[in-house]
Amino acid sequence: MRFKYTLEVLTVIAIVAFCAVFLYTSSTMSGAKFAGSDNVGSGLIAKLSGTPVENFQPLIPQWEPPSGEIESCLFALQAAVGGILVGGVFGFWIGQKKKA
Amino acid sequence: MHIMEGFLPWQWCLVWWIVALPCLMLGTYQLKKVLAADREALPLLGVTGGFIFILSSLKLPSVTGSCSHPTGTGLSTISFGPWITAVVCAIVLLFQSLFLAHGGLSVLGANIVSMGIVGPLVGYMIYRLLRDTSVNIYITVFLVTALADMFTYVTTSLELALAYPAETGGFVSSFILFMGIFAVTQVPLAIVEGTVLALVFKYIVALKPDILIRLKIFSEVKINAARNEIS
Repeated sequence: MRFKYTLEVLTVIAIVAFCAVFLYTSSTMSGAKFAGSDNVGSGLIAKLSGTPVENFQPLIPQWEPPSGEIESCLFALQAAVGGILVGGVFGFWIGQKKKA
Repeated sequence: MHIMEGFLPWQWCLVWWIVALPCLMLGTYQLKKVLAADREALPLLGVTGGFIFILSSLKLPSVTGSCSHPTGTGLSTISFGPWITAVVCAIVLLFQSLFLAHGGLSVLGANIVSMGIVGPLVGYMIYRLLRDTSVNIYITVFLVTALADMFTYVTTSLELALAYPAETGGFVSSFILFMGIFAVTQVPLAIVEGTVLALVFKYIVALKPDILIRLKIFSEVKINAARNEIS
């Protein structure tokens, strides 16, 4: 009898290792802000072009979420849509398989 | 991986839009054709597209002390190819630029090129290279996903380096600087994303092997071999 769950084990190991690395960096690296790399990138653009970040104005006017709360709400909404799709389809497939 | 609105000169916005649009048109055309040919393709599109929605909303911390998000494009690339994947990515990126101020309408073209086109295209080449070899399909899925993710960020670095060459060293030195921010942060994320999507693919193989064979995603022989491995 062969072991069936190699991939599951590997995935758990990868996720646990990822968390461990995060805990290690966040406790040892002083000054790590864990800002989005998008923003870090924008900072570098400002440095390379010699224009302060504030001077970059949207070319096309843009709505910005008024606070971090609202932003995380909308991100959660996006993930929820994906979750519904994935869960729904897997349920549908399991149902199909049972019927067949 | 998003270039923020206003951070790309309009000339470059235009260039990337011109690159992105024909790919999106081709993708829409292919999508119609695939769905008309086989109704069972729709649920598969739902699952693979669903993971793009989920994974691209997760901003994860990384070793460089900043956060970044995976792209989730690997499964869709394997199942439907890069052009249809570009269409799904365009939907996600449009949502993010309209409601989350991640990216924006002028830079949408550039962001579609990195996440929806170049990343998946690299992944697709790996898939085509490995599909007919004896390489295990889960290793294939892992490599495709991880590399599609990595090359998305390499492309973002490239787009920014082209628009902002450094004063000394020009394009190359600013490419290295942007790679330091985007690509290095992405390495651990790409590895985790690859393993997770390989696991998801295992469940698709277990539940719905017939659709994978019918859409010629993998040969019957390889699918059966993979099924024997897991059950």
